[in-house]
Amino acid sequence: MLKQNGRSDNTLDLKRLLSEKRLAGLWRLMDGFQYLYIAAIAAQGFSAYSKTATFLLLSYFVDNYIAAQIRPYPIWLIVLSFVLFIGLQGLFTYISGRLAAKTSENTIRRLRNYLFDQIQHLPFSYHSETDTGELISRCTSDVDALRRFYNDQAIGIGRISLLFIVNFIALLNLNTKLGLISVIVVPFILGVSIFFFRKVSVAYEAYQEQDAILSTTLQENLSGVRVVKAFARQPYEITKFEKNNWEKFQRGKKLLTIHSQYWPISDVLCGVQLLTGYLVGALMTINGEISVGNYLAYAGLVIYIIYPLRGLGRFIVQMSNALVSYDRVYKIIKEDREPIDEGDQKLEKNINGEITFKHVGFEYEHNDRVLHDISFHADAGQVVALLGSTGSGKTSLVNLLPRFYDFTSGEILLDGQDLRLFSRRFLRKEIGIVEQEPFLFSRSIKENISYGVDRDISQEEIEQAARMAAVHDVILTFPGGYDTLVGERGVTLSGGQKQRIAIARTLLKDPCILIFDDSTSSVDTETESQIRSAMETLMKNRTTFIIAHRIQSIMAADLILVMEQGRIVQKGKHADLVKEDGIYQQIFNIQTRVETELDQELSNAG
Amino acid sequence: MPADQFKEEEFSGKLTGEVFSRILSLLRPYWLRVIGFLVTVIIVSVLDAYFTYLGMQIVDQGILTGNREMLYRILIRYGSLILVQSASIFGFVYLVGILGERIRYDLRQKLFNHLQKLSLSYYSQTPVGWIISRVTNDTERVAELMTWGLLDATWGAVNIITGLIFMFSINWKLALIVFAILPILLYTAVQFQKRILTQFRTVRKVNSKITASHNENISGVRVVKALGREDKNLEEFSELSDEMYTAGFRAAWLSALFLPGVQIISAFAIGGIIWYSGVQINFQGITIGGISAFLSYMTFMMWPIQDLARVFAELQRAIASAERIFALEDTTPDVLDKPSAYDPGTMRGDISFEHLFFWYEDELPVIKDLNLNIKRGETIALVGSTGGGKTTIVNLLCRFYEPKRGRILIGGHDYTDLSLEAIQSRIGIVLQTPHLFSGTIKENITYGRLKASQEEIEKAAKLTRAHQFIERLEKGYDEEVGEGGVLLSVGQKQLISLSRAVLSDPEIFIMDEATSSVDTLTEALIQDGMEAVMKGRTSFIIAHRLSTIKRADRILVIEDGQIAEMGSHNELLRLKGKYFNLYTKQFRSEREGAYNIFQEPDISNDKQVD
Repeated sequence: MLKQNGRSDNTLDLKRLLSEKRLAGLWRLMDGFQYLYIAAIAAQGFSAYSKTATFLLLSYFVDNYIAAQIRPYPIWLIVLSFVLFIGLQGLFTYISGRLAAKTSENTIRRLRNYLFDQIQHLPFSYHSETDTGELISRCTSDVDALRRFYNDQAIGIGRISLLFIVNFIALLNLNTKLGLISVIVVPFILGVSIFFFRKVSVAYEAYQEQDAILSTTLQENLSGVRVVKAFARQPYEITKFEKNNWEKFQRGKKLLTIHSQYWPISDVLCGVQLLTGYLVGALMTINGEISVGNYLAYAGLVIYIIYPLRGLGRFIVQMSNALVSYDRVYKIIKEDREPIDEGDQKLEKNINGEITFKHVGFEYEHNDRVLHDISFHADAGQVVALLGSTGSGKTSLVNLLPRFYDFTSGEILLDGQDLRLFSRRFLRKEIGIVEQEPFLFSRSIKENISYGVDRDISQEEIEQAARMAAVHDVILTFPGGYDTLVGERGVTLSGGQKQRIAIARTLLKDPCILIFDDSTSSVDTETESQIRSAMETLMKNRTTFIIAHRIQSIMAADLILVMEQGRIVQKGKHADLVKEDGIYQQIFNIQTRVETELDQELSNAG
Repeated sequence: MPADQFKEEEFSGKLTGEVFSRILSLLRPYWLRVIGFLVTVIIVSVLDAYFTYLGMQIVDQGILTGNREMLYRILIRYGSLILVQSASIFGFVYLVGILGERIRYDLRQKLFNHLQKLSLSYYSQTPVGWIISRVTNDTERVAELMTWGLLDATWGAVNIITGLIFMFSINWKLALIVFAILPILLYTAVQFQKRILTQFRTVRKVNSKITASHNENISGVRVVKALGREDKNLEEFSELSDEMYTAGFRAAWLSALFLPGVQIISAFAIGGIIWYSGVQINFQGITIGGISAFLSYMTFMMWPIQDLARVFAELQRAIASAERIFALEDTTPDVLDKPSAYDPGTMRGDISFEHLFFWYEDELPVIKDLNLNIKRGETIALVGSTGGGKTTIVNLLCRFYEPKRGRILIGGHDYTDLSLEAIQSRIGIVLQTPHLFSGTIKENITYGRLKASQEEIEKAAKLTRAHQFIERLEKGYDEEVGEGGVLLSVGQKQLISLSRAVLSDPEIFIMDEATSSVDTLTEALIQDGMEAVMKGRTSFIIAHRLSTIKRADRILVIEDGQIAEMGSHNELLRLKGKYFNLYTKQFRSEREGAYNIFQEPDISNDKQVD
């Protein structure tokens, strides 16, 4: 059960374990650590019990050894018992804290890992509809709220309740009347503290909200420093910041005002209770109803009944926030993962890359049809070019191949087999994608190139791939060479450089089918030719799909599909399409028109 | 370099006289409130110790003597003092809390105001994250130390001292036991707190790594899936969460050990007290109430000790924060008005660059002996490859940086003699990466001229063709642009930033690839409007689109920090040199783009999956 200390164990399926029910869910989330947690709370009970025992011993000591001068045991034994009780109290507090920490940290680690894994396994449709910031906040703030629930709140509520119960029973045993008198104020304190912490939680949220606004103002000012200076808007910026800064001050003031009201009020309440108890207790002692030792024990114990209750309200309010966090986290957990391994393993040997689309249609869940009746055939190693405007369905079409989405009608065949028989994992291993503006990770360039391959790769292999992708020389100009970090903390790469690194990444991956997005060429002409030659290396012996905007890059394709509104409107080789009356011909004619115009321009210049 | 490590090692956190007096000076304007909270917290602290003493009196003078009169009197005193204490608690929470917020406010504002004065060279050397951390975290830490830290330390120290005084008055021998054990307690407590703090810092660091990891995995989920990286990613993430587990668990159990640890040390003192009193009672050395008072003092001693230790452990870090704040305050801007700086009233006039040299921090020359005379009202186009120095010329002209050698004259004045305000308020600049501020479109356009009327705003927006897409938005000009303008496309942002510059009605107009992401059709439409704007103003255009520069009065090909070719469009074409090559190459790709029937206008702001 405790084997998890060192390394993560990610075998537990939280989706099956958890449910909508919050408290049950929070309990099950601790799976395997529940007994530990119960032990943690029980240790709080023992700790409270030792504390009570200390005061009872004091009572015994005063009554016998001092008041009556009877000494049944040697004095050192009494001293030892005192030290022992206090020591036990400390020991149990520590044990409880340690067990609770072990439970909460283990539970939360498992939850963190599960969420991370869950998110990367959720289908595309989920990601395209979910806001990144929202997901991150659930994985961080909400998970942390749950951590505090296990580590502070649940254990805190346990501690305070046990302190109250154990001490209250002890008081009742000392003297029932006195015991009952000592809890008169309890409901008031509880009520006031819950009321107060609710208000605090609202005010605090407002304060945090303003803090976020202030941060944004600052961040925008700093990153837009050139604009601020260019318009000489420093005074305006200062006024704007000051306004937000002042608002934060005001909200902080409000928060503090609530605090400054609560603590004295609750202090007076507790004070009234304390003094009433002292008065009644003292009179009872004078009347001989209880002993002096009893009074001393009472005076000590009563403090542990009243004062901790002031904190109980805070835990209760915070706990309700943790329950909301549970809901938000559970919403991610309950989503269905993409079954990436589902498929016929027997088929998964070497494939050639022959692809056939038969009357394929595709629509998203909410019924907007994106692809209609797509049919074509590509032999292994051929180049298929897709030409069409934004929204014509090019990307949707290629997204079907690695099964990012599954087509909804018709048939797609890979090497003559139904595409859906292959597992997603296999397909994605065999298909390489080079996007127009590829996403690189903030790691070293080396790691980015070897990112797609699950084996150890030598430096030579990486460099060879980079050379083939025509990016090796560029990498060498960076301060750290291949170890240079990409992104904010390292070099900023241009679109063309990113694309060539993605090409190197795909070369190492060595897929049998290739998807290349060439939609917009914002890169300059020189870079473009470098990318083109890198692509030609990559395309060799692989079935390739090129998404293109311009004809120049696809004239050599084996098959050109001209798309419009989710349909193939023209299909064929360049030589045939040029002769055909249609969009393709129109685009092609532009080429000749441009050259004529250029000649005209130049002759105008003289 | 990661922002959190930048310049970290330069600040020692040692308390020197200078830092100390500067920290204190933050409190000076509020000295009355400081005295107020110190007095009230001392009252609270003394009463806390006195209540234990009163508890003793209840036993010794009330219960043991059976004197009810005395009992009532003590309880009445106790009760009224509770009221006094509650009032004082109200006083100090209110005073110190609001003072803390006020000091945070002051520090943030002071830093922000100072940041506005710093030059671009500061910003290019300092990561934004580092600056933000100064304005947020460091101000927080210093304010916390100066208010709640000071308060906690005062309460703790006074409580221990008054407690000791009462103990000595009850029984000096017993008090000596406590007195002897106190340094051990304090030392242990401080060591403990320091370790706990270190662990919490590790937790925070790992936590930000975890957030970054989530962020990357979610934004790059397409690549992760395409490359089938899921298992390896989980493995890597598990390492992070293992790290988090180790640090978090350690922090938690150390914290859990703290109070019991202190308690167990004090248990020995309590043992000593019991043993001593068991013997002493025969000699009337101590009363029953006295014993119980001693036990209470010992039991509650751990709270002031905890407070003191916590403040002490935080001290070093807070001082390092203060040092960083002061260092930022002491940074002087590189570009500064001379004391004799003046405003000539206008920036209209000829501009000349005389033997200009410039290099950035790395000291590699960027501009080498550049000479140029520009007539008032001329339109100058700068072309050339990236890194050739075009943007640096613009930076120098705007006086974001000053030339290292040579000088720039505007209307005959050496521009370093003029005030920055005089120059920059009359220059309109549009950058390639448009920067928008959170707020509405209208607010972003009026940034160019704060008092512009709605008609003027619309006029500027019509000129730049921004009006067309703005009108199609649901709330028109009142549409929110989102943080940094995320709700708009780059092309839309460029049009807004262009409108902003047009509205500012500048005397010198600079466009640094201002419309690079606007579709060709829209750009052509803007053309006429922009020409009207540039008429009569000296203008500089950096562009890779030829249509925009063709009609410039002079075109400069900048290469290697020098002017490689200069002349009108036709002159340069005839030269058949660099410009000719550039032009023919770009002409082809640009026209192909312009005629391409698939080219979607970028300003339509479509965010489709495809």
